[in-house]
Amino acid sequence: MVPITYYLLLAAALFCMGMFGVLVRRNALVVFMCVELMLNAANLTFLSFARMRGDSIGHVSAFFVIAVAAAEAAIGLAIVIAVFRSRGSVLVEDIRTMKH
Amino acid sequence: MNLAEFFQVAPVAPELLAPSLWLIIALPLLGAFICGVFGRMLGRANVHLIACSAVAGAFVLSVLAFWATSHTSSGEGARRLLAFYRNPFGIESDFVRYALAYDYGTWFSAGDFRVNFGLAVDHLSGILLLVITGVGFLIHLYSTSYMEHDDGYWRYFAYLNLFVAAMLTLVLADNLVLLFVGWEGVGMASYLLIGFWYTDPAKAWAGRKAFVTNRIGDFAFLIATFLLVLLVSAFTRQANAADYATAGSSVERYQSALQDRGPLTFKGLEKMAEGLVDTGADKVDLSTPIEAGPLAGYTFGGVMTVALLLFLLGAAGKSAQLPLYVWLPDAMAGPTPVSALIHAATMVTAGVYLFSRMAALLVLSPTAMATVAIIGALTSLLAALIAFAQDDIKKVLAYSTVSQLGIMFMGVGAGIFWAAVLHLVTHAFFKACLFLGAGSVMHGNGDETDIKKLGGLRHEMKWTWGTFLVATLAITGIFPLSGFFSKDAILHGVHHNHLEGLHWVSSAVYYLGLVIAASTAFYMTRLYLLTFEGPRSKEARVAHAHESAWQMTLPLVVLAVLSVVAAVYAFPLMKSSSGQPQAVFENFLSPVFGAMNRITNAAKTVELDTSVPHLGDYVFAWLVALTGGALAGFLYLKFFPARAGQPAPAFARAVRRAAQNKFYVDELYELIVIRPVKFLSFILFRVVDALLIDTVAVRGTAWVTARVGSALRYVQTGDAQAYAAVMALALLGGVAYALIQVLQ
Repeated sequence: MVPITYYLLLAAALFCMGMFGVLVRRNALVVFMCVELMLNAANLTFLSFARMRGDSIGHVSAFFVIAVAAAEAAIGLAIVIAVFRSRGSVLVEDIRTMKH
Repeated sequence: MNLAEFFQVAPVAPELLAPSLWLIIALPLLGAFICGVFGRMLGRANVHLIACSAVAGAFVLSVLAFWATSHTSSGEGARRLLAFYRNPFGIESDFVRYALAYDYGTWFSAGDFRVNFGLAVDHLSGILLLVITGVGFLIHLYSTSYMEHDDGYWRYFAYLNLFVAAMLTLVLADNLVLLFVGWEGVGMASYLLIGFWYTDPAKAWAGRKAFVTNRIGDFAFLIATFLLVLLVSAFTRQANAADYATAGSSVERYQSALQDRGPLTFKGLEKMAEGLVDTGADKVDLSTPIEAGPLAGYTFGGVMTVALLLFLLGAAGKSAQLPLYVWLPDAMAGPTPVSALIHAATMVTAGVYLFSRMAALLVLSPTAMATVAIIGALTSLLAALIAFAQDDIKKVLAYSTVSQLGIMFMGVGAGIFWAAVLHLVTHAFFKACLFLGAGSVMHGNGDETDIKKLGGLRHEMKWTWGTFLVATLAITGIFPLSGFFSKDAILHGVHHNHLEGLHWVSSAVYYLGLVIAASTAFYMTRLYLLTFEGPRSKEARVAHAHESAWQMTLPLVVLAVLSVVAAVYAFPLMKSSSGQPQAVFENFLSPVFGAMNRITNAAKTVELDTSVPHLGDYVFAWLVALTGGALAGFLYLKFFPARAGQPAPAFARAVRRAAQNKFYVDELYELIVIRPVKFLSFILFRVVDALLIDTVAVRGTAWVTARVGSALRYVQTGDAQAYAAVMALALLGGVAYALIQVLQ
């Protein structure tokens, strides 16, 4: 039996990598993938705790997160495509309409 | 029907007249409104007509109201009058006699405090109504000629009407709060009138000085009023049935009357005073401490004394007594008829009226009475001494007013109220005549006010000369004129009345009074001689003075006649209730001062002497006045011309310079009051207002907001990754906090 600590450490590492990607990558698609990575890190945490507690709340939460992530990916990709069509770029730093 | 019966049946039934009393105030107020708002469009003649007819209408109504106060038809005597106005403060059968009153209902109320809009005319306010509207009308008539060439005539007449309306409110009020409305109203109107020629800074300053000085007194008046409210509530809480028996009332009746009409009606205060004087066992009297409320621990008598002294300060402001007299001489900056109106007929007599109205309270406190008498005497003496050396014709008259008011205060302080009111009335006549005469002199001499540059007007302005002479003789106290009798009545009363525990006061004040009488004779004779007698001065502005128009001389003649015939009021032609001879005016005012007499008899705070002056007293008073006048005549007609060209002795010059500079009282005030206040104001202005409020509070908040905004501007970039970085940092902070919590 692998102790829960390892799972949590793995989840933390994944989360940090995802967050790093969100903060530094310029391509919106990559940013999205990094967000997915962070969500999955969270899912991993949920499942670890569910296992530890021996009940199903964590599983249910993980399912919700996956559902939300799927919806988000769909809408986010649609937005990215729409932005690419209008501006010809998917770089995050180019999309700063609030500044103007 | 004989003459007496004719005057005892009012032409308008009191029941009909009483609800219309408000018209007396409303008419001049309406006149002020029309003249002030539409005056410029109406043109000169119409403004004159409206202003004069408003006051004339008020005069007619005042005559009717005054007549109605003596209404005794159908043989029932005074009772008949009171079918419609029962005194709610008395017992069932106690009607207010010789009074016409109407209550227009609640004016305002807060909690259990209540003020009614009630107007009352009794013999005291009735006689003042006649003086204000009568002399006021003459002054209006005079002004139509005097202000003929002034561009602001419509503004002038609006102010004049406003002044009369405010003074009528003051006199008609049946409670202290409504009286205060008139009290403030005359203050405001006098400010407007004194500073009427506002383009001249000196005149605007004079108006402001009058206003500020009056405000100081008004503040004291207000505090005294609040003290009386507390005192009435303490009395109704603490008194038992026995106290009300003294006042001729029952507990329930007094309290329901308070509920009904408010605690500050004069009748209610009178009843409280009557309830306070009986010193029987188990009763509330002057030395009883107040048990509860904000005044707990003080005695009723002590609080009463403090309230009355504060009222004295208020009256000193309005009636120009020490220490607040300084505004009145400067008030000469206004047009001359205004000086006559303020000085003679209306505003400055408000203090004397107030104390006469509250006579029942005043006699409860010998301390307050002594203070009033001493203040009056000192003011009178100081003003008379200053008047010695003034060369401005109006300034002399102004100081003479201060002096005469001081004599009235002496009378009030000595408990001889009727004589003080009589002197008020006769003074209104002759002082108005003098001021209007001075105005006529100025009018005919190119606005020259320096009496050294006049002289010899006797032959050039015959009407002015004649009336001025009569008025001078009246104020000087020459035998058959009214001023002699009214002043002598006061001096006699001061001599013979004694304040409990303060017997020295009446003697001291009496001898001061003799000095004042001689001084008055001296400076008035000097004024008259230098203006009207002798050769015409070489420095005169116009070679020949011209007599004024009839609008100006007619009021002079009327006032001169009045200042002679008013003497009748002082003759002991009537009989008092005990059968002794009594002065007509004393008899006439006895219903007003009935409560005061009952209180003095019960409380023994003042020994009132009702004797009539003997022939010896009259001769003595006459000699005093003659001495003063003769001295002036000798000095200015014989002595000085002989010494022409020789300088006066150094001592005389020094005294004269000091007197001319008004004994430096204004400078003293400047040093001990105005400078420190100005310094404090400067500090408050620089530090509190300019630095703290303007810089730190107002501009500071704006500055901080702008700076914070411009700093936060860099955060709102629209860069999603920057936002994400902020979130990540927040998350880091949350994690760090959680770690610290866990590790602990």
